[in-house]
Parts: sequence; structure tokens; C-alpha cells
Amino acid sequence: MRDFSYHAPTSLAEAQALHAQAPLHTRFLAGGTDLFLFLEHGGGDIGTVIDLKAIPGIAEIQQGADGGLRLGALTTMRALENHPDIATRFQALAAAAAVVGGPAIRNRATLGGNLCNASPAADTSVPLLALAAQVVVQSPAGERTMALAELWAGPRKNTLAAGEILREIVLPAPGGRWGCDFQRLTRSAMDIALVNAAAVVKLDDGGAIAAAACALGAVGPTVLPVPGLDEALRGAPCDEKTWQTVAELAQAAARPIDDQRASADYRRQMAGVLARRAAKNAAARAENNAAAGAGGAAGTRP
Amino acid sequence: MSIPLKVVVNGVAHADSVEARTSLLTYLREVRGLLGAKRGCEEGECGSCTVLLDGQPVAACLIFAVEVEGSEIVTVEGLGRAENLSPIQRAIAEAGASQCGFCIPGVLLGAKALLAEHPRPGEEEIRRAISGNLCRCTGYDRIVAAIQQAAEGEK
Repeated sequence: MRDFSYHAPTSLAEAQALHAQAPLHTRFLAGGTDLFLFLEHGGGDIGTVIDLKAIPGIAEIQQGADGGLRLGALTTMRALENHPDIATRFQALAAAAAVVGGPAIRNRATLGGNLCNASPAADTSVPLLALAAQVVVQSPAGERTMALAELWAGPRKNTLAAGEILREIVLPAPGGRWGCDFQRLTRSAMDIALVNAAAVVKLDDGGAIAAAACALGAVGPTVLPVPGLDEALRGAPCDEKTWQTVAELAQAAARPIDDQRASADYRRQMAGVLARRAAKNAAARAENNAAAGAGGAAGTRP
Repeated sequence: MSIPLKVVVNGVAHADSVEARTSLLTYLREVRGLLGAKRGCEEGECGSCTVLLDGQPVAACLIFAVEVEGSEIVTVEGLGRAENLSPIQRAIAEAGASQCGFCIPGVLLGAKALLAEHPRPGEEEIRRAISGNLCRCTGYDRIVAAIQQAAEGEK
């Protein structure tokens, strides 16, 4: 690895000022589990590395508006999987964070890094997309909030301009009786997903589906939503016919490629299988979860 | 870029100067002379470079030494030496859970961190804690039994 200038600023403004000195040859460092290897393999002709870990206030998990959460970008996978509110209400996110790499990786890998690395297989991306997360991006000009899907342009390509920093992830709480679930198909703990999927299901008072969303990973150039799912499932009962519809829509949405992990055909079929399981589990959780309406306290489960 | 580095390793404070690109693994092995952490895959996949950073297992091959400024590192040498093995080290030795030994330092440190947090882990918890440590020799079962034994011994 070529040597570089290393800085550990203590504010976002300082970090951005440093970045501006050589915007094409500078990278921000969070957990380093992706960036280290990128630098090791000589990527990008990087002469400056700016470590974000000394900046206060960007690694916290806080209550958001309407019972949701605000996740600092430097939150580690370990912090996510162990957070009691995430583990009880946003189980899909806790489950995803819990399978990123192994324990040693999870102690360093950050949510912001996982999202900005923009792998279409990134485990935390999948439930966050299904949960309609938004991201807060800090640029020298100010801050902007956008839908998570707008962060990704393609495999390993994010849409951030030079010097922008993903600062926070805003996770809304769907409200009412809702549940979510994450599924991953993989060979072993350290391997990347062949396919991953997450579903969010909301039930009405009669136990029929009021809203649904599903996201698929590793079957396209970015994490993909399953279009048409919400319309198809509204008012539907929680039965096999409905789950079969989920599987079919997921298969139709998947755009996988053949690679060394799996064939496109297998991935497409498994997208259906995982989406079905995730939706069924999400609905079961919605049945079990205590209502968490708008403005309600977090973590009201028995 | 040469950067001053102050770090506590196995309870001893050090002040060194390293290049920014020097990995924590290189610093520990070549500057501190601690060869317990291994160069295995050097891409964070095998666990043989595992050390404890402020009590938590991390892959030293994926961390720049300068990132641990002001922190505490524990390597396998800090767990115990031949004349004074720690309970986990003794359990691994007595269970015949080490063959070539290459994975063992990483396993020991992962196990230490686990037992510090979960003094009575179940088998699943143990397997999960070492899920990032690849072993080509043993098939893991004796390693798991040894960690269980060490946990029971500490009760």
C-alpha cells in the first residue's frame, strides 16, 4: 500500500475542509473493513485518508420523530445488533447487522460505511430500504435528506459528491400493527449473501394486510424494491395465496446475474423463497407486536 | 507520513512512530515483536489476526495502527505465557483442541471477550463467537468443548 497523509479531525466541518484540499485523492475512513482493502489493492490513487471516528455525535442511536430512530452513520454493526429497541421493533435491521462478516468485523464495520460502499448485497441496505429509511448527507453547503435508494447509482457506486459525508440514517416507525423480517441465503458466517431479502408488513384491525414492502439484495445492480407489492397485498389475508403472490412478485423484480456464488436462475428462485419467508414472518410479528402508534414510546413490547 | 502513536499493549504503555499505512498487525508483529497474531488471509476473513481492542475482538489486518491511538490492545501473549497459562489456554491445551495452532491465538482472544460478556455461554453462542475464526485442522468441536470447559471452570 502506498503511504498517505492521515488525519483525525474532530468535526465534520474540519473533515470536509481537509477533503477539499485534494478531493479526487482523498477518502473518508469509518470502520475500514472495506476501505483498507480498497487501499491495499491500490484503488483510486489515494493520498489522504480522513478518519471520521474522532468526530463526536455521529455514532449515536437516538429516538426520532413519531417513534422512529435516528442512527448515526458511524454506528457499528455490533451496536445495531445489540440495541434493545432495534432488536425488538426493527428486528430485520438487527438481524442484518448481526450477520455482517463475523464478530471481529462487526466490532468495526459501520452502518454508513456499509451503505456508502453500495454493494448490492450489503445486508443492512436491504431492511433499511424496505423500512423506507432516509439518509442525511452533510456537504460543505449544508445538509440534505433523501430517500436511501437515491444513495446508490450501481454496484459499488454511490451518488455522494466529493467531500459529502453521510451523517445519519432516519428510520421511520410504520405505526400501527407492524412487523419486519430479514432473510439471508449464504454458505457461512463470513460469506456474502447469495440473496438477501427483507419485508415489512402492516396489519389492519381485522388482521388483513394494510401495507407491505419488500426489498431484495444481491439480485441486481443495487438493492431493489419489489414494485407493486403494496397494491397487490392491500386488504389481502395472511394466507398461503398471499405469500405465493409475494414470491412471484419478488421473482419478477429480481434482476440477478450469474457469478461464482450462484446462477441467475437460482438467485431468482431464491429471491422468491426468501421474500415469501420474510413477508410471512413479518406478518406474524405484526400479529404479536403491541401497537406502536405515531408518537408512541419506543419498545412497548411485552 | 510518520505519525506518533501512543498505545497500551498487554498492559504496557508504548510511544512509537509509524507510517500511516502500517497496519495494526504489522505494528504488533514487527514493532512490538508479538508474533501471536498471525498473517493469514490479510483481508479480514480468517480471524487469525484477531486481537482485543479495548476489550473487543478486531481484525488487526484491517486496521491502521494510528487508528488505535490512546487505546488498549491485548494479544495472546497478554493472556498468559507457557509458565502461567490462562484458564482458556489451559482448557484448549488439555482438550487437545489445538493441532497446528495457527488459529488458536485468535480463538483464545475471541473466547476471552465472549466469557467476559457471557460467563455461561451456550454452544450456539460459543460457535457464533468463533464464527470468524477459520480452523483447517480440528473441525471446531474440541475448541467449542474447551471454551465450555473454561467457562465452567470459572464459575
